[in-house]
Amino acid sequence: MATSALRLENVDAFYGDSHVLQNVSFELGEARMLGLLGRNGAGKSTCMNVGMGLLSARRGEVSVFGEPVTKLSPEMIAARGVALVPQGRRIFRSLTVRENLIVAARKPDAGSKHAPWTIDTVFAMFPRLKERSNQMAAHLSGGEQQMLAIGRALMGNPRVLLMDEPSEGLAPQIVAEVMTTIRKLKESGLSIVLVEQNPNLVFDVADDIVILNTGGVAVVSTPAALRQDDALLRQHLGVF
Amino acid sequence: MNFWIVLTVNSITFGGLLFLLASGFSLIFGLMRIPNLTHGSLFMLGAYVGGSIVIGLFGFKLNFWLAAVLASLTVAALGALIERFLLRQLPGDQLAQVLVTLGISFMAADFCLMVWGGDPMSVATPEGLGGFARAGGAVFPLYRLAIIAIAVVVAVALWLLLDRTRLGAMIRAGVDDPDMARVVGIRVSQLFTIVFALGAGLAAFAGIIGGPILSVYPGLDQDMLPLALLVVIIGGAGSLLGSFVGSILVGFIYNFGQALLPELAYFVLFLPMLLVLLLRPQGLFGRHVP
Ligand SMILES: Nc1ncnc2c1ncn2[C@@H]1O[C@H](COP(=O)(O)OP(=O)(O)OP(=O)(O)O)[C@@H](O)[C@H]1O
Ligand SMILES: [Mg+2]
Repeated sequence: MATSALRLENVDAFYGDSHVLQNVSFELGEARMLGLLGRNGAGKSTCMNVGMGLLSARRGEVSVFGEPVTKLSPEMIAARGVALVPQGRRIFRSLTVRENLIVAARKPDAGSKHAPWTIDTVFAMFPRLKERSNQMAAHLSGGEQQMLAIGRALMGNPRVLLMDEPSEGLAPQIVAEVMTTIRKLKESGLSIVLVEQNPNLVFDVADDIVILNTGGVAVVSTPAALRQDDALLRQHLGVF
Repeated sequence: MNFWIVLTVNSITFGGLLFLLASGFSLIFGLMRIPNLTHGSLFMLGAYVGGSIVIGLFGFKLNFWLAAVLASLTVAALGALIERFLLRQLPGDQLAQVLVTLGISFMAADFCLMVWGGDPMSVATPEGLGGFARAGGAVFPLYRLAIIAIAVVVAVALWLLLDRTRLGAMIRAGVDDPDMARVVGIRVSQLFTIVFALGAGLAAFAGIIGGPILSVYPGLDQDMLPLALLVVIIGGAGSLLGSFVGSILVGFIYNFGQALLPELAYFVLFLPMLLVLLLRPQGLFGRHVP
């Protein structure tokens, strides 16, 4: 049996007293892309936070390539090859573009098949970042900030990439650019969780789909099957 | 005329000393989100330890500058120990951490009283700097000019460290968004130790450098701590430029206030703090609301 790149098993998570994730289980296969869908407040970002160690699961287990990481800190999980492109981008605003990338640099794991990401390969992928390399990140446009957030995650040479609503708040043309990038990353063999509100964006690129509803897993399926099932989508994602 | 020039030089000198004290305080505040209430004690401890080495109280004597470096390194090591073995045990609990620093400051005050007694210790001006420089009819004490030069050199060095190195960028990333810094793999807790030790060392250095001007006495810690707090609130936590501008500003307000309105010195001193808190709570150059 192939080990999964990321697995959540019966995870319960709380913010203070509020019970946000209930018995959540899903897995991301190696070199696959999992689309994670759900309405506002369904618990998508919370799943990403649990995967990254920003919030620790009160019950259940999280593992990366078969190794448990449930109680590890974010920096230790990052060291195991998980990177996050967070919702809202959260670039370091008072650092320059170049510094944002440099602080996140991590050597690839021994035996990694891929050419490592470096500041040069990130700049090659996002030429616009290169042009602005010495500008304060706070002064970038929304699209550029999203590219920087993706580039920063790649600098960690991750094996697992968690992307939380990378299209949020971007013009359609920029969204298309970002989706092209995501497709390339998938082709490079990276295992990716893509969180989105808009299922159509995800259906084009993902291999598997998980839909969350009020903190629990409601649907585990594939894009092909879900495209045929408007009723199910409407039930869990609302009208669109 | 002369009076104003002297007052101005004294203000800048005092501002320079404050910068040495407050730059570390501000970095710690920006990164760890706590006002380090031992900062005044570290200043006083640096002054006592350095002064004792200069006069040979510990059985050996060094010249002023070597004593200053040795005292700073000693107190920096103490700072690292405080962070690693006390504050580290209370992760995320900022109130508890502040209370720990408050407790240590009281203990340090008692410790100093026991070891060095209640009489002020005077520290001689380092050799060769006891004289005066004359320019256009005004006289300037050389040592005060030296303090200003030292503060500028330290400011430039800190700026290079924070602005031109990867470590500095990591520290700034931690000030910006500590959780995100950890997500990209930065070991923020290690930065805490480094920054705390650096801040402690700088505070001690300020203490001994300030010795020949302020002398060293019980209560020096509690005289200095509010001023550091003032600088950080005015300048903005975590901002080096803020510490610099804030220190010079407080240096001027403190000296001019005492000279011109001695009954209202503290009123004049803390009024700008209230204004900044009301009008620009993140400070002149800060990004966070402390
Ligand atoms: N820091 C927090 N403290 C308390 N409750 C929170 C916190 N963050 C999120 N929640 C709550 O947890 C639930 C899940 O939030 P989460 O951010 O995971 O949703 P989401 O699916 O990512 O939504 P969106 O699409 O709006 O980003 C929501 O009810 C939210 O109000
Ligand atoms: Mg979200």
